[in-house]
Amino acid sequence: MSRPVRLWVFLVGAVLVAALYAWACFDLPSFGGDHHPYGDRAVRTALAQHTANAVSSVNFDQRAFDTLGEQTILFAAVLGTVVLLRQVRGERRTDPTPAPVADRVRWFGVLMLPVALVVGFYVVAHGPLSPGGGFQGGIVLATALHLLYIAADYRALERIRPVGLYEVGDAVGEAAYVVTGLAAVLAGSAFLANVVPHGTFNTLSSGGTVAVLNIAVGMEVACGIIVLLARFLDQAVEIEETAEETGAR
Amino acid sequence: MAAGELLPLVVAVPLLGSAVLVAAGRRLTRIAADALGAAFAAGTVALCVFALIGVLEGPAVAWAGGWRPKDGLGVGIALVGDPLGVGLAALASVVTVAAFVYSWRYLEEPPPRHAGGFPALLLLFQAGMCGFTLTGDLFNAFVFFELMSVVAYALTGYRVEEPRPLQGALAFGIVNSLGGYCMLLGIALLYARTGELGMAQIGRALGTGEPDALVLAAFVLVMTGLLIKAAAVPFHFWLPDAHAVAPTPVCMVLSGVMVELGVYGAARVYWTVFAGPGGVSHSSCTRTLLVIGVATAVLGAAMCWQQRHLKRLLAFSTIGHVGLFLIGVAVLTPEGVSGTALYVLGHAGAKAALFACVGILLARYGSVDEYELYGRGRELRLVGVLFGVGALALAGVPPFGTGLGKAVAEEAAGQQAPWLPAVFVLVSAVTGGAVLRAGLRVFGGAGPRPPAEKADGEPETSGAEEEPETGDRLGRVPGTMLAVPVALLAGALAVGVLPGFAAAVGAAGDHFADHTGYLGTVLGSGSALSHVSASPHWTAAGVVLDLVSTALAIGCAALAVWRPGRTGHPGASGWWTPIRRMQSGHIGDYVAWALAGVALLAVLTVPGMLL
Repeated sequence: MSRPVRLWVFLVGAVLVAALYAWACFDLPSFGGDHHPYGDRAVRTALAQHTANAVSSVNFDQRAFDTLGEQTILFAAVLGTVVLLRQVRGERRTDPTPAPVADRVRWFGVLMLPVALVVGFYVVAHGPLSPGGGFQGGIVLATALHLLYIAADYRALERIRPVGLYEVGDAVGEAAYVVTGLAAVLAGSAFLANVVPHGTFNTLSSGGTVAVLNIAVGMEVACGIIVLLARFLDQAVEIEETAEETGAR
Repeated sequence: MAAGELLPLVVAVPLLGSAVLVAAGRRLTRIAADALGAAFAAGTVALCVFALIGVLEGPAVAWAGGWRPKDGLGVGIALVGDPLGVGLAALASVVTVAAFVYSWRYLEEPPPRHAGGFPALLLLFQAGMCGFTLTGDLFNAFVFFELMSVVAYALTGYRVEEPRPLQGALAFGIVNSLGGYCMLLGIALLYARTGELGMAQIGRALGTGEPDALVLAAFVLVMTGLLIKAAAVPFHFWLPDAHAVAPTPVCMVLSGVMVELGVYGAARVYWTVFAGPGGVSHSSCTRTLLVIGVATAVLGAAMCWQQRHLKRLLAFSTIGHVGLFLIGVAVLTPEGVSGTALYVLGHAGAKAALFACVGILLARYGSVDEYELYGRGRELRLVGVLFGVGALALAGVPPFGTGLGKAVAEEAAGQQAPWLPAVFVLVSAVTGGAVLRAGLRVFGGAGPRPPAEKADGEPETSGAEEEPETGDRLGRVPGTMLAVPVALLAGALAVGVLPGFAAAVGAAGDHFADHTGYLGTVLGSGSALSHVSASPHWTAAGVVLDLVSTALAIGCAALAVWRPGRTGHPGASGWWTPIRRMQSGHIGDYVAWALAGVALLAVLTVPGMLL
């Protein structure tokens, strides 16, 4: 299609869709009402399950099957990236050259690395209690390691980042979620049922399997994101097309 | 174990398998990784079969986490195993196993320490498809929809060292992500209205009152997501670009099952969520799906005929058949559903077998160009026979499952409008004829040799000079690569002739199209089947129409190959060229069409509903 035709097709579609959506929005429940059928049920259930963070109760208990799928989407995305960014024919590895880093940046990284790691572990561990959890804390942990890339250089990052080990961690996190679900089946209950004692409300060990699944997700997310970034950094820093392949393009 | 308890395992087992493969993949040899993957996939087939036997009597429900609703109100997710859903999970698993066996000796050796990647992705794909067919929760369906999409993008771009797979995967990814957003937006609207995410629960909430703009918008947006997955016109552009470049074993799964799951999703969501009085009326839904279906069928068949790139040819034939499936479910009767289900089963076998044959050509000759391969396939006699049988099965020759499904769906559609059976006959004749034409030229060396070079301005890629996916060209065709199409075609045949099979699919259709029965099963208020229709069976009229479409297919192919004075292709001069040029490869075009398609769905649905 030529540019103007494409624009017209797009504009006609966009205007009609916008009109439809605006029309639909007038039929939404009005703002600030007190009718929240699912929210009320979910919070009641969360309290009954001794899970202080109702969002975590929904994620890892009431709708834990959704979270299995969501965690697997991340797992699949990381695996897909690993497969697509593999070193293919006509590519070779080169050693990256270290780049000079300003002293202040170096100090900032050295100071922040332990702080960021502690925050990450805290956010993961307190998932059943306070806002946060495996997804959020996992991201903090994964990015914390990359402070080394900024503060020192790529080789320092590589020393503390054996990618193979993190790939295994990624898979173990995924498997742990599934196995926790299957363990409930073996215990005679439903898949992903919260069969573990629920503990004392608002303590780290409360929530039963919420705490277990939350840590499984934290492990998967942290390791998965590290692997993901490693693949992209590999492509950017280490892998080069060989001369004849470049010429062929 | 009761059938209900097996349902979550159908999803969990392949997921566990992929995690094991990733964890151990760096230490496994290729053979060990492939065998492990195939074992998990085959184990899932067994689970599906056991579950299917259990649910033939009546649907089973499993509440994940044991969150069974109290007094009809709950917080959890239901997995609903009705015979049709479990049957499709079984189909997806069987085709995945076929892809595993086929890729055993097919794909290029993976780089060291990466042997687990491809089988793990295939298992995730299987888990996504199974989850999508089994879930009874709209948001959960979206999650599995996204899972199978993400995996499919990566699998499509697998041969990343070439530019074309990347472009195809990118178009696939962008257009399907757009579908995901639309679907999520529609689900959000329904949640805002009802405070529920379960299909049965939303259906119950929409069981009273009058439909309004919110319901219309939700219907249009959710359908958009599913129809993009189904590659319905005008959302279809991604499919030929993706199928032409994906590795052949992946094409078998994409074309044989994943695209059809879009049709399944559209029908499932309508019957469970929108079929009540506060939803979308039968006539509005029929009109929308029928128009889209007929357009998809006709455009797919016409474009199929124009191709010389064999994978693109098969991809467009899939679009044509998806159009027919949409017509089958659009009439909104149990007969239409069961006819379409039989058709989908037969089509999956035939289409996957045809892709397997094309994969052999690609591996051996480094080309999938009908013209360049002229006569070269003569040495592959068995492959030629399989290709021809597959082409006839696609045209609906009795007693293949495609023929039975086509006959039953066509009769159901004929109740809606007397001209619809003609669409079935023509579309299956043209797509079958196009495949047969290619087969006659490639495997039979029939007719005059077509000019191998591209005509000036020919809009599409010819498929010459492709990289074989095996790494090096194959000398001898491995037994596994021959056994797979044989088994798949035997399966397509079995769908048509196995005694009792059609009756079981008929009962599955009754359950599927039973709105109140589904709600009763899930929400626990009893589930007596409200309507029992006659079992689908071969009828004289059906056999005659099947034979007509087969004869037409043979006629078309013969005419194209032997017509005197006509050696080449329509080239760039045909009247059809502007429409061929719409398949431009420009992602901006595809997005513009998708957006126009959303508007089209709304315009088609609104009369009689709100205006």
